[in-house]
Amino acid sequence: MCSALGKVLCLGKEMFLKQAFALSRVTAARESPICAVGSTLLSCNRHYRSQPTHGIGRFRHLLPPEPSKKKRDRIRMKEICAGSDHEYGDLNIQMTAYDMCLVEHFAQYVHKLCNRFSIRVNESYAMPTKTMEVMLLQEQGSRQYLDAVLTTHQRVVQISGLSSTFAPVLLEVIQSNQPEGVHLSVKEHTEADFKVRLKARPELEELMAQMS
Amino acid sequence: MARWRGALWSRGQMMAAPMQRALYGGAVRWRWALGPRWVSASAAPRWRLAGALCLQRPPSITQALSPEQEAMAQLAHQIEVEKSNFSDYEIRRLAEEEQLKKRKDNTYDDEADSGQAIVLAQDLEDAWEQKFQRFKAGPRITDADKRNDRTSLNRKLDRNLMLLVKEKVGNQELWLLPQAEWQAGETLRSTAERALATLSGNCIQAKFLGNAPCGLYKYKFPRALRTEGSVGAKIFFFKALLQSGDLLQAERREDYVWVSKGELGDYLKPDYLKQVNRFLMDQ
Repeated sequence: MCSALGKVLCLGKEMFLKQAFALSRVTAARESPICAVGSTLLSCNRHYRSQPTHGIGRFRHLLPPEPSKKKRDRIRMKEICAGSDHEYGDLNIQMTAYDMCLVEHFAQYVHKLCNRFSIRVNESYAMPTKTMEVMLLQEQGSRQYLDAVLTTHQRVVQISGLSSTFAPVLLEVIQSNQPEGVHLSVKEHTEADFKVRLKARPELEELMAQMS
Repeated sequence: MARWRGALWSRGQMMAAPMQRALYGGAVRWRWALGPRWVSASAAPRWRLAGALCLQRPPSITQALSPEQEAMAQLAHQIEVEKSNFSDYEIRRLAEEEQLKKRKDNTYDDEADSGQAIVLAQDLEDAWEQKFQRFKAGPRITDADKRNDRTSLNRKLDRNLMLLVKEKVGNQELWLLPQAEWQAGETLRSTAERALATLSGNCIQAKFLGNAPCGLYKYKFPRALRTEGSVGAKIFFFKALLQSGDLLQAERREDYVWVSKGELGDYLKPDYLKQVNRFLMDQ
């Protein structure tokens, strides 16, 4: 009886051991992720080089090789597309005002509007601020005194690919939403417009003048 | 009968075709026997073309804010002011106020006083305040608004105003946008420009926004007037913005009116109005 029970117990124990081993293996597998949610013991296993997941997330080797940039790259002008019979080429929407917040908000509005209408916006940039001093003649004397300092801000949104059937609609929308105090003009983009953005180099110009 | 239907639709297979398919096949065959519709007419219908001009005077002042917008604008302004730093003028003003206070309380140094500005910020502000009191802004609601004089351009300065003329079409007098009949060899935009020129002489300078029309209205003549060459008319609308000038100098005085979008319903016929409303921006 005892021996039979003992056999039964032994058998039972073996089975129990096997089950316990299986369970422990399962729990070990579950604990191997870096943070097991809800577990009291946070196991911090870092993906060391021997782990199969080493290098997960590596992408630089997949990108095409970049050409090495020269130290001083001359800014080249992008090709100005001229436009055909049914489409306008590069157009500059220039907004000028004394109030910077107003003109910036309007420029953002125009940019988002063009995105909404699926018109390609090439560039959206600001021209340097121009400061004007307003000198008024004094009432009593003939001296001029400083009355105010006005700053003129200009923002430009460059678009291309505007079809001639859609242009009147876009222009009307922009004009009817023009805020007070903002001067709006739509012009074709020229090389002169691009050159205005670059700084003048007086020494270089002097040397060129001396050479020629 | 059943055999005919079956032969049509089954294409040489089983003779008995299902009822619905046979009916459909029968219907198709009947329509094909008549022939396609465009073949039956001898020639395409001819339409008379016209170019019409939608001359708009753009608004010169912005519309007043609604109460919610007003409250929001005030709140935003208050937040902005409270979050902002002092400007140069305000720093100068505060410094001078402190100097004045020191002068009242303590005995002031002559050395510190030598760097004082001749013109105080307070004086400047007083001068500006006086200048502001002298400034008179133009009225937002003009005389023409009060009199509801629809022929004047000074009315409703915050809305678009459109030109309507009264013309005799057929045997009735109708209010419509100024139009001219298209002549062979000219573009429709030049037709609209011609309409403007005949209407106003050279008084009005208008800027057309583009070569493409913004709207179309087509109608058929009553049966009595239909001829072989013209079944009806198609009117193409072109938008233009008024730069300067007015119709006061032109010859016709009683037949024109400048109206906003809401007042168009008083003048235009319903079908015409529906087509015109399609290309007018909401104001």
